[in-house]
Amino acid sequence: TKMSKIFTPTNQIRLTNVAVVRMKKGGKRFEIACYRNKVVSWRNNIETDIDEVLQTHTVFTNVSKGQVAKKEDLIKAFGKDDQTDVCKEILTKGELQVSDKERQSQFELLFKDIATTVADKCVNPETKRPYPVSMIEKAMKDAHISYYYTFGIPLMQALDVIPLLKATMPLERAQMKIRAVLSGRDARKLRDKVAKLATSLESEDWDGGKLNLVCLIDPGHYREVDEIVRSETKGHGLLELMSLKEVTEGEELLE
Amino acid sequence: MRLLNPQKLNELQRNPNRVRNICILAHVDHGKTTLADSLVATNGIISPKMAGKLRYMDSRKDEQERGITMKSSSIALLHNKGGEEYLVNLIDSPGHVDFASEVSTAVRLCDGAVVVVDVVEGVCPQTQAALKQAWLENIRPVLVLNKMDRLILEMKLSPLDAYVHLTQILEQVNAVMGELFTSEVLGRTVPEKSQSQIDPDKASSLLYDWSAGLEDADDSHLYFSPDQGNVIFASAVDGWGFGIEHFAKLYADKLGVNEKVLQKTLWGDFYLHGKTKRVMKGAQEKAKKPLFVQFALENLWAVYDTVVIRKEKDKLQKIADSLNIKLTVRDMRHTDGKVQLQALCGQWLPLAKTLLDMVCTKLPAPCEITEEKAEKLMCSATERFDSLPSDTQKLKSVFMACSSDEDAPVIVFISKMFPMERRCLPQYRSHPLTAAEIAERREKTRLQHAQRLAQSETPFSVEGTHLLSSGDQMKIEEQKEQEQNDADAFIAFARVFSGTIKKGQELYVLGPKHEPQSALEKLESGEVINPDLTLKDLKSGQHITRVKIDQLYLLMGRELETLDSVPAGNVFGIGGLEEHVLKSATLSSTVACPAFTELAQVVVPIVRVAVEPTHAQDMAALVRGLRLLNQADACVQVIVQETGEHVLVTAGEVHLQRCLDDLRERYAKVAINASEPIVPFRETVVVPPTVDMVNEAIQDQNTASKDGDKENAGEVITLSTSNKHSTIKIRAAPLPTEVTSLLEVHADLLKAVDKHIHSEAGQQNSEMFEDSLSESQMVLTERTLKAIETLKEKLKDAFSSAGDEWKCAESQIWSVGPRRCGPNILLNRIPAYDHPSVWQRLRGSDRRLEYDSSFVNGFQLATLAGPLCEEPMMGVCFIVEDWTLAEETQLDHPSSRSPGSEHNDPSAAAKPGSIPGNLSLSACQAPSAILPESLLSQPYGPFSGQIMSAVKEGCRKAFQARPQRLMAAMYSCNIQVNAEALGKMYAVLGRRHGRVLHGDMQEGSSTFTVTAVLPVVESFEFAPEIRKQTSGLASPQLVFSHWEVIDIDPFWTPHTEEEYLHYGEKADSGNRARRYMDAVRRRKGLAVQEKLVEFAEKQRTLSKNK
Repeated sequence: TKMSKIFTPTNQIRLTNVAVVRMKKGGKRFEIACYRNKVVSWRNNIETDIDEVLQTHTVFTNVSKGQVAKKEDLIKAFGKDDQTDVCKEILTKGELQVSDKERQSQFELLFKDIATTVADKCVNPETKRPYPVSMIEKAMKDAHISYYYTFGIPLMQALDVIPLLKATMPLERAQMKIRAVLSGRDARKLRDKVAKLATSLESEDWDGGKLNLVCLIDPGHYREVDEIVRSETKGHGLLELMSLKEVTEGEELLE
Repeated sequence: MRLLNPQKLNELQRNPNRVRNICILAHVDHGKTTLADSLVATNGIISPKMAGKLRYMDSRKDEQERGITMKSSSIALLHNKGGEEYLVNLIDSPGHVDFASEVSTAVRLCDGAVVVVDVVEGVCPQTQAALKQAWLENIRPVLVLNKMDRLILEMKLSPLDAYVHLTQILEQVNAVMGELFTSEVLGRTVPEKSQSQIDPDKASSLLYDWSAGLEDADDSHLYFSPDQGNVIFASAVDGWGFGIEHFAKLYADKLGVNEKVLQKTLWGDFYLHGKTKRVMKGAQEKAKKPLFVQFALENLWAVYDTVVIRKEKDKLQKIADSLNIKLTVRDMRHTDGKVQLQALCGQWLPLAKTLLDMVCTKLPAPCEITEEKAEKLMCSATERFDSLPSDTQKLKSVFMACSSDEDAPVIVFISKMFPMERRCLPQYRSHPLTAAEIAERREKTRLQHAQRLAQSETPFSVEGTHLLSSGDQMKIEEQKEQEQNDADAFIAFARVFSGTIKKGQELYVLGPKHEPQSALEKLESGEVINPDLTLKDLKSGQHITRVKIDQLYLLMGRELETLDSVPAGNVFGIGGLEEHVLKSATLSSTVACPAFTELAQVVVPIVRVAVEPTHAQDMAALVRGLRLLNQADACVQVIVQETGEHVLVTAGEVHLQRCLDDLRERYAKVAINASEPIVPFRETVVVPPTVDMVNEAIQDQNTASKDGDKENAGEVITLSTSNKHSTIKIRAAPLPTEVTSLLEVHADLLKAVDKHIHSEAGQQNSEMFEDSLSESQMVLTERTLKAIETLKEKLKDAFSSAGDEWKCAESQIWSVGPRRCGPNILLNRIPAYDHPSVWQRLRGSDRRLEYDSSFVNGFQLATLAGPLCEEPMMGVCFIVEDWTLAEETQLDHPSSRSPGSEHNDPSAAAKPGSIPGNLSLSACQAPSAILPESLLSQPYGPFSGQIMSAVKEGCRKAFQARPQRLMAAMYSCNIQVNAEALGKMYAVLGRRHGRVLHGDMQEGSSTFTVTAVLPVVESFEFAPEIRKQTSGLASPQLVFSHWEVIDIDPFWTPHTEEEYLHYGEKADSGNRARRYMDAVRRRKGLAVQEKLVEFAEKQRTLSKNK
C-alpha cells in the first residue's frame, strides 16, 4: 500500500548499538555491553575513559536477554565481585565483536600495510626509485585489488599483488646485489648457473682460477643462488650480500 | 603600421649609445602593464584606443583572466626623440610577490628601470622590493607617479591637497632609496676599516667614524625629484603623463621667466609673486599656491572637471582649440566623457613620448656600464674580485667597452628560458605565397588528382598500392609535424654584454657553477670539450658545453622576429638551447669568462606539494613535464624524495596554481593530482611553562608529581651504544632567541665556514692543514672573515646576556645543525675533551676525535627530523655532559672482522630515523629472514655507525624530556582594505589564527593598511576567502616572514579544574598544535593516536529493522 507505516516511538530500546564482549571463564559465559567502535580504542590505550566504553558497569551472562551474572559466579570465576574491575578484565581479555568502523579501519590498515610493503619492495625500473605509497594505493584500487584476506602477513599478500600491478604500471622488484667468490674446477660452470639467475652482471674478475662476481638478482632467487654456491662448491665458495635492495637513495633536485 | 623595420633595427642595434634596456617595476596593480600598453601603442603594434585595456604584454590566458602579470617579457620599441632615433628594449615584469623571481630575471638584463607607484596606495611592499632589486643590480631608476586620475575622480582632492599628497609619496619613495644607500655605505666601510687596522701608518684612522662614510659618499644623484627630470606624473589608463619640463617650457614664454629657473622652481615650495612676476620661495609659509599647483595641477583639474564631471562639450572644443589639438568628430560625438578625455589628454600630454624621452635622457646606455656593476656581475659578494684568474680580470674592460667588433670576445648572459609554442616561431609562421608557389601547388594537386583517378580505375595495380602507401607516409609525416608544432620550444632570454653573436657561431655554454680557474687549468692540461655533449651528459664538476647558435630572435612581446646577428648591448632571444641551458647560463667565446653571479633571490619558495599522475603509467610524462617546468621557471624547485615522491616547491599559492596549470596543459599534458600543500614546521623545546592553558599558575605540587623524576634524572639522558662500549650523557635546552635568530640569519656564513674550514677536517696530516687553511682563507674575502668575527662577537653577547647558564657557550659550540648550518647547537661540555669549537679546524690526539664526525653526524640526523613529526628542529641546544669510550682493543675488534659488511650497514644507519610503527616492521622482518649467516654473526655493525645512532637516539630522548612545542612558519601579510570591510577582514584573520600587528589609516583616504601575521598552514584559500568576505575590497599579499612557536603542548589535554571548566572534558575546541602534528604524521605515514569515534553516545542508533 501507498500508505507507509507511521513511525511510532517505542519505549523498548533495542540493543542495536551495543558491542558485546564475551568471555568464558570457569565454565561460565560472561558478557559486557559496550559502545560500538570503542573497544579497540580502549585496548590500544587511546581511549582512557571507561565510561566512554562501557554502556553500564554490569556483567551479564547474556546481554541481549538482559540476564545479569550472579555475584557468586563472578567470585568463582574472577575471584572478585567488583563489577567495574571484572568489566575491565573482560574488556582486555574477552572475545570481541568487531564493529563496523573498527573493521573498516582494520581493513584500511591492512591495505595500507600491503601498499607500504609493495612500495618498499619495488622500484620504478626507469628511475630505480621507489613509487610513493599513495600511488601504489591508487594503482591497487584501480586494479580492483581488494584485501581478500582479513588476516595474514602483509608481505605474502604484497608478493601476490606485485604481478597484478605490473600490468598497469612499470614496476619491478628492487634487485638484490650480491658478490660471489667461486674457485676450483667448476667455477666456470657455476658462474653460468649463477649468471642465469642474475638479472644483470655488474663486474666479473678472474684472478687465477678464482672468480669474483658481482651481480644483481631478484630477491626471489636468493635461496637458489645460495644453494648453488654452498652445496656445489662444497663450502669453498663465498656468497656475500652487498645490499638488500638497489635503489637510488637520498633526495635529488630534478634538473 | 609598424615603425621598426629590419634595416633600421640593425642600424640602431649597432650603436649602443642609442639603445636603452629598461624594465618596468612596481607593486601589483600599480599599472605596469597598462603603462607598457601605451608605450607599445606608439609603435603602431596596437591601437592607441586599446592601450590600457588590451594588456598586450600579458599573453597568457590566465594572465588575462586574473588581470595580473605572471612573467617578464620583452618588446623592442623605436623612439624618435628630437630627430634622434632610439631602440628601447622594454621589459614588463610581474608585481605579484609570488613571481618576484621573474623580476630578478628582468632586472639582470637591464640598465635602467621605470618604477611605477600608485599615488593613492603609495609605497607598498613590492615597491620597496623592486627598488631594492634595482639597487642591488646597480641599475638606475626613474619614477612614474601613476593613477593621478584617482586623486581627482576618486579621492576628490583639491589641487593643493593633491600636491601635498604627492610630496608625501615622493618622500616615502626617497626614504626607501636613502635607506638602501646608507646600508650600502655602512657595509662598504667595514672592509676599509679592517684594512686600516692592518696598516700601521694609518693609525690615526683607527678612530673611524661610522658616519664619515656616509658624509663622504655623494647621494644627491640618488633621489627622485621632479626638477631633476626623473619623475613623471601620469595616468596610464587615460594615456597622459608629464614631467615638469613640459610646463616649464610652456610657461617660460608666457610669464617671461627663464625656463631654467622655472625648471628648478616648478616643483617645490615656490610661488609666483603676482605683481612683480617673480618666483619667490616659501609658498607654504605665506599661504600661497605653489607653482606646481597653479600651473600644472589646476589645469588638469579643470580639464577633468569639464570633460568627465560636468561633460560640457562646447567647452571641450574651446580647450582643445586653445591647446592646438584637433579632436575627431567621432570622439566629439562620443557620449562617454572618458573617451574624449583620453583623446584630449593623449594629444596634450602624451604619456609614451614623455616617458620614452625621459628614459632616453636619464637612463644609461648599455655602453655606460659602471665598473662596480661589471665587478658585481663577475664575482659574488663573498669572494674577492682579485681572486679570479688574470684572464678573467681582463674581461672587465671588455664589459666596460661594450664593443660589438668582430674581435671582441662574445659574452652573453641568459637569465631565463621561456616557452613559446613552436608554431608561433617565425620560421614556422605562414607567410603569403608568391605566384610561383601557388602555381607549383596547383600543379601538385592536379597530379595527385590524376593519380587518384588512375588508381580508382586500376585498383589492383601494384603502382596503385605503392601510391597509397606513399600517401599514408605523407599523412604520418604531417602528423609528426603537427605534433612538433604543438610542443613548446624554449627561447633563452638573453643580453649581449660584449661582441656580436651571429647565427652559426660556435660558443661555449658556461653553467652557473662554472669556475674559470679550474676550467682554464683543465683546458691547459689538454682536455677538449666535446661539441656533442649536452647538459644531460655532463658529470659533476663539468659545467661547459659547446653549442652552435641556431636561431636568434628579436623579442616583440607575443611575437618573435628572426635576426642574423645581435651586437653588444641588446636584449634578444636564442632558440635551440634546450639541451644546453637549464635555467640560466653564460655564453661566451672564451672559457675565461666567469659565470654571472646568481640572481638575487627575494622570495623563499615555501609552498610544497607532492605531485603524481592520475594514471600510474603517465609517470614518465610527468617527470618530463616537471623537467620542462623547472627549466622554464626560475623560482620552481622539483625534489625527488627518497620515498619516490616528486615534490614541487613554489613561491606561493598563485604561483603554484600557475605551475600546475602549466604542467597539465603545456609540459606534461597528462592528468595530475597534487597533494594538499605540504607546510613545513619546526620542532623545538621551551622552558617549562609557569601558567596553564587558562592562565592559572601551575602549582608546584602539580609539577612535582608530574615531572618529579624528570627533574632528577629525566632531563639528562644517559645512553650506551648497542655493544656497550661507549656511553653518552646528553641534555636538551632551548637556545636563547637571539642566538637562534643569529644562527638563522647567518646560515650562508656558517655554510662558508663549514665549506672552507672543515672541508678537509677528516684528515690528520697537520702540514696539509696549514696549507689548505691559508688557501681557504685566500678564497674568503676579508669581508667574509670579518663577518665571521662579528658573528662570533654577537653570539658571545647574546649568550652572556642570556644568563650564567650560557657562560662561555660560544667557544664550546661543537657543531650547528641540521645540514651544518642550521639553528641548533651541539654544545661540548665533556670534561677533559679538548675539542676545538666550530670556528677552528680539528686537530689533536684524543682518541675520541676519531669518532668525532660520527658523533656530529648523529646530532645532524637528530636535528633534521625531530620526534614530534619528523620535521627539522629549531632553537634547540644539545649539551653533551659526558662521553666515554671503552678500551681500544675492544673497539677495534668488531670493526676489523668483517670489512664486507660495511657496504650494507652504514647506509642503514644513516637513514633518517627508523620509522616507528608497523611501517618499518614489515621492512625489517623480511630481510632478517633471508640474511646470510655471515652478516648475522656481526651483530651491531661498525662502531662509528653505532655512535651515530646512539647520539641520534640520545638527542631525541633528551628532546622529549623537555616541554616540546611545534613552530609554525608565518606569513606576514599586508592588506589594503576599505573602512567598511575592516571588521570582516579582522574576523577572517582571527578565524585563521592570524594576528594584527598594526593597522593605519592612510593619509587622506578611507583605506586602511593593515599588517598582520598569519600561519602558513592556515593561509590556503585565504586570499579568496578574504576577498569574498569583504566583497573584493581587501586584497592581501603574503610573504614568508619568520618562524613562531605555537604555545600549546601538542600532547596537552585538560587536567585542572579550571581547564575542565573552560575547555570541557574533551577540549572541544581542539588542540591546534596537535591537529597540525597529526596532519603531518598522517601525511608521512607515521602512527597517529586517534580514536575512531570521539563520543560513544553520539553514534547513530540503528533500528533493528532499518
